[in-house]
Amino acid sequence: MLRSPRRLWSRLVLLGSIIGPGIITANIDNDAGGIATYSIAGAHFGYALLWTMVPATVVLIVVQEMASRMGVVTGKGLAALIRERFGVLVTFWLMVALLVTDLGNTTAEFAGWAASMELFGVSKYISVPLGALFIWLLVVKGTYRVFERIFLGICLVYLTYVVAAVMAKPDWVDVAKHTLRPTLRFDAAYLSMTIGLVGTTIAPWMQFYLQSAIVEKGVRPDQYWGVRVDVIVGSFMTDIVALFIMVACGATLFHAGIHVDSAEQAAQALTPLAGRYASLLFAAGLANASLFSACILPLATAYYICEAMGWEAGVDKTLREAPQFIGLYTGFIVVGAMIVMIPRVPLIPIMWITQVINGIMLPFVLLLMLKLVNDETLMKGWTNSRFQNTVAWVTTWVMIALTVGLLVSSVA
Amino acid sequence: MPLFGQCFLSDVLKKPVLDPRGDVAGRLKDVLVVKGEPLAKVAAILVTRNRRSFLVPWRDVEMFNRRILSIRCEAESIQSYQLADEDLLAVRDILDKQIVDANGAKVVRVNDIRLEGYNGEAVLTAADVGVRGLLRRLGVERQSERFFGLLKVQLPLTLISWQYIQALSPKLKTLALTVPRQMVAALHPADLAEILSQVSRDEGRSLLTELDVKTAAGALSELESEEQVQLIAEIDAQKAADIIEEMPPDEASDVLGDLPADKAKEILDRIEVKESEDIQELLGYEEDSAGGLMTTEFIAYPSTLTAGEAIQRFKERAGRDEPMYQVYAIGADDKFVGVVALRSLLIAESTEPLHTLVEARQRTVPPDIDGRHIATLMSKYNLIALPVVGADGRLLGVVTIDDVIDRLLPAAVRKKRKA
Repeated sequence: MLRSPRRLWSRLVLLGSIIGPGIITANIDNDAGGIATYSIAGAHFGYALLWTMVPATVVLIVVQEMASRMGVVTGKGLAALIRERFGVLVTFWLMVALLVTDLGNTTAEFAGWAASMELFGVSKYISVPLGALFIWLLVVKGTYRVFERIFLGICLVYLTYVVAAVMAKPDWVDVAKHTLRPTLRFDAAYLSMTIGLVGTTIAPWMQFYLQSAIVEKGVRPDQYWGVRVDVIVGSFMTDIVALFIMVACGATLFHAGIHVDSAEQAAQALTPLAGRYASLLFAAGLANASLFSACILPLATAYYICEAMGWEAGVDKTLREAPQFIGLYTGFIVVGAMIVMIPRVPLIPIMWITQVINGIMLPFVLLLMLKLVNDETLMKGWTNSRFQNTVAWVTTWVMIALTVGLLVSSVA
Repeated sequence: MPLFGQCFLSDVLKKPVLDPRGDVAGRLKDVLVVKGEPLAKVAAILVTRNRRSFLVPWRDVEMFNRRILSIRCEAESIQSYQLADEDLLAVRDILDKQIVDANGAKVVRVNDIRLEGYNGEAVLTAADVGVRGLLRRLGVERQSERFFGLLKVQLPLTLISWQYIQALSPKLKTLALTVPRQMVAALHPADLAEILSQVSRDEGRSLLTELDVKTAAGALSELESEEQVQLIAEIDAQKAADIIEEMPPDEASDVLGDLPADKAKEILDRIEVKESEDIQELLGYEEDSAGGLMTTEFIAYPSTLTAGEAIQRFKERAGRDEPMYQVYAIGADDKFVGVVALRSLLIAESTEPLHTLVEARQRTVPPDIDGRHIATLMSKYNLIALPVVGADGRLLGVVTIDDVIDRLLPAAVRKKRKA
């Protein structure tokens, strides 16, 4: 199929124009909360949790592939499909729940941005307003095309974590062994960390954002292979970065027995163990990831809420054309940034509650997605294969079980 | 008369439906809608009980309002009903779906449907697309009204009269009335293009194929080139050829040039020979050169023609073409002689030959010159059209100011203008 060089070339050009949504979505997943989770996992359990990245990658690919396939085949976003199929009531409450979660997440992103900038000696009262203004302008004054290319470039910054991990000089044979061979332990700390890792890997909002971004691109079914490449590359990139964060912390903090509670503490603690540059790279990675996600999360939320409610939406629109869209986006950034700037605000509980709602929402979103993706009249021959359904159902049930387990253990 | 006055669909949905004995026969699940004059009307109601659905014809409905729903027949006597695909059901097929508001030229979502009693029938009079419709569906319209009343904010009722609604998905075809179809065709092509770019590919395709060729061509010309390609690539080649034939040759060649080669050929084969030759000639030029920007639709007369004859000919044909502000005088073998502005033509003596009327110092460009250079020339000499002349002195085409502006404006501004 790819034998003639001309054909290969035209395919590469096509791929270049299609690629973006999958990689961007997957990378935003490694946001402030994600990096914190991976750092803590590495610091407390060493390499013992590296294996979780293998199933996480499979699940991430299967779920994202479903969302992107629906986008390509139906030409509609997930929120629109849910509204059309399940009606106002379901859609409304789903949107309310996602609104709350995403607001919490956005706050967490700004907290990550503030913390990482403080490592560089910038006060949060300067960095947060400036960062908020920057991302607001980027979306309101920019155009989507330019915007997506910029983001794709930013995705490369995530590789700083790989460099930081190399600088920590881990035992690579050991790393490989732990990645491929699961270590099963059943103590509470280990279990809740596992839930945290899986939970941070697939978030509900990602599926909405991915599907809408693909619809925006207008990919045709015959170009679908390009989307698949995009999603798979993105998922691998995300989990490889996550793996290296755990390796960086596992090789240093775990061995030294240092206890950390956040990503910025991890970055600080790296200085004496892996050198100042490793620590700076770690902090730079956190700053980049936080600001990036603080931009995309409000954007995605505004987008799918408008889509569900039937309001005009789009980064190319003005306030007069799309008041709800611009209003939601602006409101999210302002509120998120303000909460972080309140002195002594309890950020850890906010993040924790957000993660819990995230976890509770995920099975619902997955159930709705499965119902839609297996609808023959909607998908016209593009429904799930048996393998895809199996993985998706197992994921859904595992997530339900994990969430219930987490709730029970936190109440008990 | 089951329905007096009006009610919203959400007011009656899921309400119990009573039989003549006053027992609950089931709950209202949906209403079957059929085409009617002048508006679509309810033909039957769908009642569900224990997961089984019954269809009750409208003549057996006794009361249909927000307080009481009742039917004349016994629950046991109604046949269980299997939903057919071709039935048009208000909840399944209209509610929550996207429609085109032909009056405001935008795509909206149906939050609720207003029904009204008319000659013993219940007709669909309007779609509620506003926030009140949403609140009503959520069952909190009254409370929100009171709440916003305290804040002295009045909640607007955003209704679109049924006659301004154009269904988007093919599902709704049965409902399509003649009025909205004309309404859509009467929209400005730029508005239509905006609608096309907002809806899903399938909906865009069905909308485009149902429009008459001329309207479709106008709308297509206004779209961004990627969107043009997407739409054209999806529709049937014959239809695509008909639409492209209607477009000015320069735009037609731009669209075809962006299509995959086999698809472009398939379409070209179906275009009239004359048109197809024009387009193929244009396809030979770089997109951002004078040759790629120019149109081959221009008016040229022999330079020996008198002003009076020229005006007569112009009247006969120019009404059908793109707006023209000048005509071109050509000599033997199509050799370019000069540009004659319409004003010069009008104020000249009717016996004067065209070659005496041509503009002095008229600029021309060769076909391979690039677009930016053309823009500079047009700006410097205040031109609205620039003739493109080949090496052999033949007039090949004309670059008009609108093509140059579209090429020069950054994509962002173009998009903003369209939005």
